[in-house]
Amino acid sequence: MKNKKEKIIKKKSFYFEDYDESELTDSNKIYSIIKISLSRVTFLFLIFISVILIFSIKITYLSLSSEKNFYNNSPNKKFISERRNIIDRNGSVLATNVNLYDVGVRPQLLKQKDKKNLLIKLGILFPELNLNKIKKKLNKNDFFWIGKRLTPKAKDQFWLIGNKALVFEPKPSRIYPQKNLFSHILGQTDDINKGISGIEKFFDSQLNNKEKIELPLSLTLDSNLQHLIREELINAQLDFKNIGSGAILMDVENGEILSLISLPDYNLNQRILINDDIYSNKITLGVYELGSVFKTFTIAAGLENKVIKPNTIFKDLENSLTCDKYTISEHDKLPKNLSVEQILIRSSNIGAVRIAQKVGVEKYKDFLNSLGLLDTINFDLEEIGTPLSFRWGKCKLATTSYGHGITTTPLQLAKAYAILGNGGYKIKPSILKKEKKLDGQREQIISNKTSNAINLILRKVVSLNEGTANFADIEGYDVGGKTGTAVKYNSKAKLNTFVALFPSSRPKYVLLVMLDEPKPAPNFVYEFPPSEKFPNGYKYSGERRNTSGWNTVVVAGKIIEKIGPILAINNLQASNNF
Amino acid sequence: MINQDKWVASLPKNNNQFNEEINQLDPNKWVDTISKPNAFSSIKKYSLTAILFVCGLLLVSAIKNETRNLQKEINNLEASINVLNFNLDQGILDNEVITSPENISQLAKKFLDNDFAPYKKSQIRHLNDKEEIIISTNEKKDKNISKKMKLKIAKKIKEKKTEIKKLQELYSKPESIPGELKTQVAKKIEAKKIELKNLYSSPKDALLSTKAQKWVVVQVVKVFLGMPVVPGK
Repeated sequence: MKNKKEKIIKKKSFYFEDYDESELTDSNKIYSIIKISLSRVTFLFLIFISVILIFSIKITYLSLSSEKNFYNNSPNKKFISERRNIIDRNGSVLATNVNLYDVGVRPQLLKQKDKKNLLIKLGILFPELNLNKIKKKLNKNDFFWIGKRLTPKAKDQFWLIGNKALVFEPKPSRIYPQKNLFSHILGQTDDINKGISGIEKFFDSQLNNKEKIELPLSLTLDSNLQHLIREELINAQLDFKNIGSGAILMDVENGEILSLISLPDYNLNQRILINDDIYSNKITLGVYELGSVFKTFTIAAGLENKVIKPNTIFKDLENSLTCDKYTISEHDKLPKNLSVEQILIRSSNIGAVRIAQKVGVEKYKDFLNSLGLLDTINFDLEEIGTPLSFRWGKCKLATTSYGHGITTTPLQLAKAYAILGNGGYKIKPSILKKEKKLDGQREQIISNKTSNAINLILRKVVSLNEGTANFADIEGYDVGGKTGTAVKYNSKAKLNTFVALFPSSRPKYVLLVMLDEPKPAPNFVYEFPPSEKFPNGYKYSGERRNTSGWNTVVVAGKIIEKIGPILAINNLQASNNF
Repeated sequence: MINQDKWVASLPKNNNQFNEEINQLDPNKWVDTISKPNAFSSIKKYSLTAILFVCGLLLVSAIKNETRNLQKEINNLEASINVLNFNLDQGILDNEVITSPENISQLAKKFLDNDFAPYKKSQIRHLNDKEEIIISTNEKKDKNISKKMKLKIAKKIKEKKTEIKKLQELYSKPESIPGELKTQVAKKIEAKKIELKNLYSSPKDALLSTKAQKWVVVQVVKVFLGMPVVPGK
């Protein structure tokens, strides 16, 4: 009984005590083991699923992403242009990028014997290299560059040496297909492709704009016109033995510069250090006393201020005047009575002084200021000259009236003439092609009446026999203009200028030609245009004078003759006038 | 600790024996009542998962492989595009250098004989001016001819005109001309007309040609007579 009772108790303990049946415990164990292993599998499964998910997301991202630089290490990786191209108004490339190579040497990788071998190979393949210098550098055991900005062909020659010490570094570099043609405008970049002069510097941020990298920077310049004008200036250098020259061609309506040349120039692709002042940009940076070309402004100031009319006659004009320490005289024997027109046509200094005196210092100064001749011009280049400041007075007024004792840049002079020619509207000379055209609201500085009167007189300077610029009277182009002969400070050398406006009836272009220190050209054959006396014109040589009319005007005439047809073709408005 | 006696005594006593029998625990019965884990269904479930997992793995590797192939293809295409772009860049650059105004003018100087000078406006005439030009050139030509020659030409023109007149008169009476001569007369009139026209357009040449004809005849006669052709020889 007791045993039975104990059994019952034992059995009852099933509810409250540890279950002790081995079978059940085993199955439970198996179950728990399976459960654990399954949970591990699930865990692993989840990890894999998440990996798959990550991969899927990545694949989707890669396929949808617009960025394509995943394979930068590809040997044929895309040629990346780091700077925007520069093009002219016709789309001709003026500056672009090419992949050049720098080749360096790591001497520490070479034994003495290898160094000798390398030197021998370099000597055979590249005779132009200075082997002594390279030998010294090799012995120093420091890294050095053996060649920079090498073409792929030259790089391959180095590569074919097969020396482990040679290191090749590709470098996107700037190249200028037009070589010298735009040297003073485009400027250059440094080793890291950063602009250091000219447009490359002035528009550096725009040229580096990665968003517009495919869009070239468009200029207003024209390669063909630039070449023709440059060629004529080079020819002039042979005829008149001048040390330098410059020219600018500008649209008088919108100030777009079609050509800007300064000689001597240099090849932009050859990286050489130029310190000589003669290589500076004569048109934008050069500040000169430009002589009689200022007489036009004196007469315009008189007309604008209504103190004179084109037919006003100045009687009993002296041959010379003295003001303080200055003696003002005529360049030639001129009639004593001259009309305002004749003063400009014959380029009378005394006449110009008389007109300026009528205008007065303040009004004359304001007039020159309104044309932007006295301040630094706001232009698209870094190389900009500032006119020298001076104190105005009666004598200064007298000398400035005929362009002496006053300085400015040829660019500012061309701009002032453009304003006189276009009806008196203010313009901003520009080299960068603008996408938007003029909105029609232009600021008028000078009246139309004055502008028309000046255009008429300037035409007479060229067309009349007594005018100083007969050689620029090119048939069909209706050229008007004014000569300027200035003597350089502390020197007997001359600086001759001629500013032409054409076609005179409604000027479209202004052309400024400047010759620095031209010499007389007795062997040069001058061809006089037909006149009443000589209906077929005549040829003449042996001239000993070297004033503007005998050289700059001749060059300007030749330039207009050459560029005229291009301008007429490219511009309907102009061709209608021609 | 649980007091078993206390708990045993707490059980109801009526029908104790019967209850004991009834409540007799059958461990097997109880063991069976414990829910056993459904081993089959879980195996099925997990094997399915495992299959899916393996399939997933295979699929991933297959997709990856395919993607890699596609990427390779894209890479190759991109590389060839880059090569083409590079060549295009080089081509454009070459074109810019070759077609630069400086190069063209150099080549023109080297290979072309013509000196390309721009035309002046006076050198260009409108079509309306054509007649004027013809007249003016005739006048110029006339100026170049001497008075003696002018007289000769006038005489010649007169002669030709009378010849034509006679022929025309003949031709105006066709009944008086035999049939076979009609065409010959017409041809002669045409020839005379052309000669007259030539006389008008280039009188000097016409005279010279007759002069040359005369000279040839004289030379032939000289040769026939045994006289030297060039005087003095």
